[in-house]
Amino acid sequence: MKHMKPFHWLAIVLVLGALTLSGCKTEHRFVKKTAFKDMDKIVITFAGPVDEAWATNTANYSVYEEPDPDIVLTPKEATLSPDRTKVTLTFPEALNTGEAHILSMTDILSEGKHLGPALLTVKKLYLGVLFTLLLGAALINNFVFTKYIGLCVFFGTSQKRSTAIGMGITFTIVIVFAAMMAWALYQFVLKPFQLTFLNIVVFIGLVSLSVQGVDTILRKVNPMLFKAFGVYLVLVIANCIAIAVPLMLADNEYNAWESLMLALGAGVGFLIALFLMACAREKLELANVPPTFKGLPIAFVTAGLFALAFLGFSGMSIY
Amino acid sequence: MDPALVKLAIGGLVVLGCIGLFFGIGLAMAAQKFHVEPDPLVEEVLETLAGAQ
Repeated sequence: MKHMKPFHWLAIVLVLGALTLSGCKTEHRFVKKTAFKDMDKIVITFAGPVDEAWATNTANYSVYEEPDPDIVLTPKEATLSPDRTKVTLTFPEALNTGEAHILSMTDILSEGKHLGPALLTVKKLYLGVLFTLLLGAALINNFVFTKYIGLCVFFGTSQKRSTAIGMGITFTIVIVFAAMMAWALYQFVLKPFQLTFLNIVVFIGLVSLSVQGVDTILRKVNPMLFKAFGVYLVLVIANCIAIAVPLMLADNEYNAWESLMLALGAGVGFLIALFLMACAREKLELANVPPTFKGLPIAFVTAGLFALAFLGFSGMSIY
Repeated sequence: MDPALVKLAIGGLVVLGCIGLFFGIGLAMAAQKFHVEPDPLVEEVLETLAGAQ
């Protein structure tokens, strides 16, 4: 312990402080936590046992989505756990769990005591949302196999495994760089000046700009890496995913973190797609393919089979 | 013409022009700062090649 520098201690104290603060922060002193369960349930955990007659009366609860307070959702059923600390509200329809919900309860009754009404926010963990976005862009909505974007570069550079990996990594770096710039430009320039109809023009310029920038800087700073990237860096300009990602983040009004996750997911998804395809095509070289199907035609058939396999991911949700 | 539209169009031209100028100057400065001397051998070899491809 003697070797620890003062700023290590400071960091530990700060982290612990943040943890305790976040742990203590509740919206009502008698409610421990609220969470979504399945698609149509909300679970409320109380700090102590509550009265059964109060807890199971659905009239005591009202819920609405944060953006529209006029649409009140009433639970179909309220059930209390045997230890009387957990209430599960079941709704007649699936809840839009991507949105924060506001739950209001009338005067909480606990063993004869009145604990006052509560107004609570029910929402998913933000890290979970970000993780879902990353995995969604990489696998569930893989740009190549489910959206069929970026196919030209995909078929052009998936003949060898080494080229596939090189292209995938170069693309990931450039797309993250371009997407963050696109986000900043969209939020701070295009939106305030009401120029959002020029999205496409601006983003195309931005992608070529970031490719040119990476090219110029890398040539000097790391010539070895530049040699390794070779022609792929320029090919990124021709990749449709590089324009799809900025347009998507503008359309969905993603914030900086969400944009980063989308771009990273798109890059990793493209890398996965390229690598899988390169593995299959290396084997195809040795296979006895009918002459009419040799080369690109059989590659298209293979890509179709991959797309079918990726269809298995559709409809999956992580949180 | 609606003056609001004219204002929007001129504003857009100015803003995009500024962005373009800004990034253009940025790229030019980067190109100068990270300038790499091209290998004279490359040029010579290219000259002697047929250049049909």
